[in-house]
Amino acid sequence: MADTAAQPIYLEDRIRKIEESGRLKHRSKALPTWCPGCGYYAMTEGVTLAVERLNIAPKDTVIVSGIGCASRFPFFMNAYGFHTLHGRTLPVATGVKIANDRLTVLVVGGDGDGFAIGGGHIPHAARRNIDITYLLFDNGIYGLTKGQTSPTSVVGFETKTTPYENRDVPLNPLMMLLSYGASWVGQAYAGHPHFLADMITDAIAHKGFSYLHIMSPCVTFDKTTNTYQNLGMKVRPMPDDHDPSDRMAAMALASEIDRPAEGLLYREDRPTLSDNLDAIIREAGGTPPPHRQPAAAE
Amino acid sequence: MSVTDIQVTICGSAGDGTIAAGDILKNTMASIGFKAIAFDLFPAEIRGFGKCVSRTRISSEPVYTLKPEADVLISLDDTHALAHIREAREFGVVIHEECPIAPAAEGSQVAEYIEPGHLPYQLPMRNMSEQTTNSPRSRNMVALGFLAGLLDMPRDAFHATIARKFRGKAKEVSTQNVAAFDAGFDAALAVFKLDDVRFRAPAEGAETGAAVMTTGNEAVVRGCLDAGIDSFFGYPITPASSILEMLAKDMPKRGGRVLQTEDEISAVGATVGAGYTGSRAATSTSGPGLALMTEMIGLGVMAEIPCVLLVSQRGGPSTGMPTKTEQSDLNLAVYGGSGDAQRLVVAPTNVYECYELAGYAFELAETFQTPVIVLLDLYLSNRHESVALPDDPPFALTAGKGLSEHDPDESYQRFAAAADSISPRAMPGEAGGIHTITGLEHGAEGRPSDSADTHAEMNRKRHDKLRGALAYRDLAVTERHGDAGKVDVGVLAWGSTYGETLEAMKQARAEGIRCAAMKVKMLSPLPTAAIEAFMDDCGAVLVPELNHEGQFANLVMSQTGRPVARLSYTTGEPMRPGDILREIRHLAEGRGPRVVAQGPNAAE
Repeated sequence: MADTAAQPIYLEDRIRKIEESGRLKHRSKALPTWCPGCGYYAMTEGVTLAVERLNIAPKDTVIVSGIGCASRFPFFMNAYGFHTLHGRTLPVATGVKIANDRLTVLVVGGDGDGFAIGGGHIPHAARRNIDITYLLFDNGIYGLTKGQTSPTSVVGFETKTTPYENRDVPLNPLMMLLSYGASWVGQAYAGHPHFLADMITDAIAHKGFSYLHIMSPCVTFDKTTNTYQNLGMKVRPMPDDHDPSDRMAAMALASEIDRPAEGLLYREDRPTLSDNLDAIIREAGGTPPPHRQPAAAE
Repeated sequence: MSVTDIQVTICGSAGDGTIAAGDILKNTMASIGFKAIAFDLFPAEIRGFGKCVSRTRISSEPVYTLKPEADVLISLDDTHALAHIREAREFGVVIHEECPIAPAAEGSQVAEYIEPGHLPYQLPMRNMSEQTTNSPRSRNMVALGFLAGLLDMPRDAFHATIARKFRGKAKEVSTQNVAAFDAGFDAALAVFKLDDVRFRAPAEGAETGAAVMTTGNEAVVRGCLDAGIDSFFGYPITPASSILEMLAKDMPKRGGRVLQTEDEISAVGATVGAGYTGSRAATSTSGPGLALMTEMIGLGVMAEIPCVLLVSQRGGPSTGMPTKTEQSDLNLAVYGGSGDAQRLVVAPTNVYECYELAGYAFELAETFQTPVIVLLDLYLSNRHESVALPDDPPFALTAGKGLSEHDPDESYQRFAAAADSISPRAMPGEAGGIHTITGLEHGAEGRPSDSADTHAEMNRKRHDKLRGALAYRDLAVTERHGDAGKVDVGVLAWGSTYGETLEAMKQARAEGIRCAAMKVKMLSPLPTAAIEAFMDDCGAVLVPELNHEGQFANLVMSQTGRPVARLSYTTGEPMRPGDILREIRHLAEGRGPRVVAQGPNAAE
């Protein structure tokens, strides 16, 4: 900090700076309907900053959401959006990307949408290395339906469907994605919004399947476990000596569920699904078409 | 003018080359201008010595069904052929092995079961095969050659087909098969000729090679390719797997992308995602897969997304009978899914229509912005018909209202009201058309809304827009055949059953019954005006179909309010024209409609 004396923050200045930044062109006029304090606000701002930094045009962005509090995400952004079915974001996003490689495809969903009903699709999106970005919002609960356990809820969690406390051991999403062969695996925390924005930017920039695990509280239905206070105490910075090209080291980090590290766990570069499909076309003697982009009237 | 109409049934064990022999026969006949229809039966297990039956009907006129009896029965394995001896008609030919390889148990040889009136030809197939090729494996070619010689079929045409079939293999394969074939052919030349089974080349020099033996699945694939399919997502399931496999091979050659997904839900999910993004996308499956896909179909209907589903029905319910044919997924295709989710459903009745409707499906999907189901069945998928596909496909490679039809001075609304209820559709990547679609009910701009007026309006929009499909371009959704004007009995049929219907109608008319038949190619929306006009002409209306509940009869009755007579049964095999004919006679005698759902051999 240049000066140490506390400066007053003027709202008009702040608003003017945001408007001048130009990034509001990525936001729609609709006001978000999430609970005040929800981590989705940080995530929305992070996505806005990321596409602005990467200079991705709204018309070339497709945001695919599942069912849950993530559902409405596309409506709050100025981009093409597809609010799909519970657990089916990845197949739909696959179809979108295969149809037009020039689009930036972002998938947003929660831990239930992704790892309960959607669990069967994740391994295949990861192993195929589809060039989409999966922003997984993990609050360990089903929020939209007002508070039921999810596959990442801790043992002992009491909800309306586990009034006698949850006994099921939670999944470890990071471990799963690392074993599925995802080519970019990162973790972030909604309570650190600036770092979150940086991680979202890196995830989108990566050419291949990017999985960003975003820890967040559900401020309305979980007052005991994944609160800002508890998460804030658990989250730690990524160790300086972590080598993100070392998958086993990444798994070791992933297994430390009591001290989640925020940052890049793993990355590699390998051909994407589109690369492979185009290689197949050439091997078959065909020509990849230039590409599946509808004639745009600018 | 004499007409050729010969049906050849070949029975053998897996490994005898039963199917290969039938393959060579039908392809040769098609190549010299005959019309042919063929349907093979495969053993249910992958290994072992299960029964194979190859049936081919060869005619100088178009035929749409197999005859209940064969003119020629060839036994490559007596154990399996015994059950089919009666299939050879009176004065029909039975060709079988003269020298069994080992002393045979009593009652195990075809020779002991020849009926009075059959014309048996004993042939030392094994010895002749050994003599010409040093192996008993070519018994099938010896038998086929014998048949060809017996009936004066052109030898050269067979040689050409054999060469084509084994083109990619070592030269000896082809020459050995030809040698075995010739051995049989020459043996037949010396034999007493039949007067009764006549073989005549088609009167006009048929355009040789114009017609090719094609299966329903092959025709579906050709239709997709000719319509410019861009992406395809599928999951293996009998009997639709070959659609995925053929497209996986052919689409990359044309720059298309094919993916085998992890399940049917992701297959249709990717199809919907690709369709939303402007790709001509399709998936294929059978009944059990379609059941999984219904939620996504609902999303496609609600969010007005073009996509194509190619569905081949098999025995149901549940896992059912994977290698048997049925027509019991009509309810699922027309109604499957939550809410009032009407979509387009078309149903081909023969192999050419498999090509036609698969091809038209893409422009229908784009024009009406909705999922289109092309509903065929195992019998169509796997049977061969000689068809001539057009050199100049009739399909429009682009269709539907795009963003260019939206006034750029107005703000873009994806679901804007329109006279025909179809809104201009923007696609990701297009400037000026940004919008979000959702499975939630929504207003014209696409934002979620559950207000009473919005929901009523949108339901009306989604249903009204489909009416235009009944009169789409040059696509006929119904066709009437038989006697014009008033008739005693009308038969209303869909899918592969229409072939058997035509056969039964022909025979009924020959018996003096005034009879007509109508095929219905679009099941949703149902062409009620055309159906009611047809019913107005009929004293009684019969609906034959291969399902237990009379699903099409129910559909027709519920939408027209008029009663029909039903013939609904599920044997896993194609319906028999004789059963349809029996019901036609019953109705023609004025004995009133009766529900027949207990089986094909109901008492009079």
